Amino acid sequence: MVGKYADDPVWASVTPIPLDDGEGADALPMASIAYPTEYLEATSYLRAVMAANEMSDRALDLTKDVISMNAAHYTVWIYRARILFALDKNIEEEVAWLNQVALKYLKNYQIWHHRQVLMSSRQHFPSLPPKELDFLMEMFAQDSKNYHVWTYRHWLVRHFKLWDHPREIEDVNVLLKADVRNNSAWSHRYTLRFGPRADNEHDAGMVNAGDMSTTPAEKGVLAVVDEDMIDAELEFAQNAIVRAPENRSPWWYARGVLVASGRSLGEWEEFAGKFVVSEDIVKSSHAVEWLADVYASDERKGKAVEMLGLLEKYDPIRKNYWDYRVKMLDVSV
Amino acid sequence: MAALFTTERHVKYYLRCLKTFLPSAYTSNDSNRMLLAYFSLSGLDVLGVLQAKTTPEERQSYINWLYHCQVPSGGFRGFPGTDFGEERRTVDNAVWDPANVPATFFALVNLLILGDDLSRVKRRECLQWLPQLQRADGSFGEVLGPNARIEGDRDLRYCMCAAGIRLTMAEWPNPLSVNLTVGIPIGSLDFLRRAGTDTQAVPMLSPGSEKFEILLSWLASRQTGELGEEEEEDEEDDEDDETGTSVLDTQPTEDVTRSLEEKIIALPGLTALSTESIPCAGFNGRCNKFADTCYSFWNGATLMMLDRYSVIDDVRNRRYLLEKVQHLVGGFGKSVGDPRVRQKTPYDTFSGEFPLLTKPLPDLLHSYFGMVSLAFQGEEGLARVDPALVTTERVVQHLESLSWRS
Repeated sequence: MVGKYADDPVWASVTPIPLDDGEGADALPMASIAYPTEYLEATSYLRAVMAANEMSDRALDLTKDVISMNAAHYTVWIYRARILFALDKNIEEEVAWLNQVALKYLKNYQIWHHRQVLMSSRQHFPSLPPKELDFLMEMFAQDSKNYHVWTYRHWLVRHFKLWDHPREIEDVNVLLKADVRNNSAWSHRYTLRFGPRADNEHDAGMVNAGDMSTTPAEKGVLAVVDEDMIDAELEFAQNAIVRAPENRSPWWYARGVLVASGRSLGEWEEFAGKFVVSEDIVKSSHAVEWLADVYASDERKGKAVEMLGLLEKYDPIRKNYWDYRVKMLDVSV
Repeated sequence: MAALFTTERHVKYYLRCLKTFLPSAYTSNDSNRMLLAYFSLSGLDVLGVLQAKTTPEERQSYINWLYHCQVPSGGFRGFPGTDFGEERRTVDNAVWDPANVPATFFALVNLLILGDDLSRVKRRECLQWLPQLQRADGSFGEVLGPNARIEGDRDLRYCMCAAGIRLTMAEWPNPLSVNLTVGIPIGSLDFLRRAGTDTQAVPMLSPGSEKFEILLSWLASRQTGELGEEEEEDEEDDEDDETGTSVLDTQPTEDVTRSLEEKIIALPGLTALSTESIPCAGFNGRCNKFADTCYSFWNGATLMMLDRYSVIDDVRNRRYLLEKVQHLVGGFGKSVGDPRVRQKTPYDTFSGEFPLLTKPLPDLLHSYFGMVSLAFQGEEGLARVDPALVTTERVVQHLESLSWRS
């Protein structure tokens, strides 16, 4: 075999293990890929060092090479983390390298799991590293709705208890100012304001959600309510709504806020009503839906049906759904 | 002219994926080969041509490859790449060649699609391994790492795959201890229900309950006419006003001089929409995202399992799939708006790497999920697909007919 590793004296002591795609097992390989020769060689050496359970600098370099060709390889990352800690490597350097990899491969699960493994080490990171949040904003500059980055940030908030860290709400506000339809930013805002904080509470996104004994009605409801904060959040949502009334995010956020505080949707009947001037002048379909829900909840079925009829006009993609809602109201129209 | 489902081209696409090398660009998907194999096999099965287009010898050789991916200690690996040979395997290094939860599920499904009776599956070992992957909060990991540490994200799909393995294996040494309130996907619930686990206590599954109806509302609102087409993003284009979708929203800078009341009064009314104004509507996975082919499947399958598929607009979904993301060479692409075109920022050191594509290129995942979405809607020429196992009903019947299960 000729190649980068075969010609390197550092690797002279290692016998590579070629890919066994089942040829000896009378098998026809499935989903075979036209692998580049560099990948075939590097992974042959990877199998060899893994078989020897080798914890070395050369193995560490090799993992980097394999990751550059296949960042989704699920054992190479675990192996790399193992070597890093076994050899007591500089973890901050690892994070700096990882930043570059994350910027290159925006959609990847393993990169962010690896970051979480590193950041979980209390020995190396007893508190939030100063540049961590800056880097996450760098990621959001690429894709402000990146699922992996938001999931990681959510974890970070819980791990370092950052709910009230000023940068968290600041960053959310910056992102919402840039794009008021960024639902990920709205979700993060909910986590900061209303998410579970207790160490012993599973992170199911909302309070009282991780315990079988709580009823659905108790989910997301805060035990202690800061009414001023609730009012401020509702006002924040209203201001966002007038900026873009067809943006569903703040309407849904407000629902979450009201549930958390144990208050009812009816509280916004007047506000939502301002967007529904007449049958022909409707300024937000979400306001119409809000009113339909309020009317349905207090038995004003006729008015609810009227609203659902309006929705067929202004949100026709969901016509079948609005029809279903009318049927569920169980009224003879 | 209405677009058609180009059956022959799709058959060719899947055959190419199954029988010839996938292009080098798939190298970054090497560890997902078991999944790619599933898309290719099941794709041909949904098209009803698997038996005709493969020989019994080929099918047996594929079965042999799948068993070649079985880990000696139970479960399957995602690709042969981690296998350094059984003769070299020790207690110490076995951790680098682990069984993988989603790969195990897809390996079992692949075997069933090929007509295997699962007799060579190390069932006892598999069922001893699987519960070790479950965390205290109910979630499942992907693989077991050093010191039996559960590795992998808290990804709901792992939970679904674990429940699928349990259904396929038909027995369980201990009851599956799943904390059902911690975001368990509907697919898992469906598996557990079929496997005889009592799920009546789960309010989400009772039609008419508040949680069920809220979930339905969420699923219905995943359908969107916002596809990310170029003209939609062009703010100076008046077309927005004609389409009347929410892209017409303006985002003026905050005006502190006017009251909220005054601002609402100043807002324009929406334009009532006709059928013609939104011909196509796909699905997204999160609020305010553009349509993405695979979400026609994820949302559709969930609604199938809830027996509420009829709440969505199947006509617009079909038109989205056939007119917007079906590719000339067969297969489907991910979305109309190329997600790989990113804003240029000071941090973007990779600008120019991703060319602007006018038509999305097909890939196996979106091809399969796009087609299954059409199968749910009864597209002519496609077999009926089970929404939980995501295989043809023929495969489900084969599983149920296996003698060792009864």
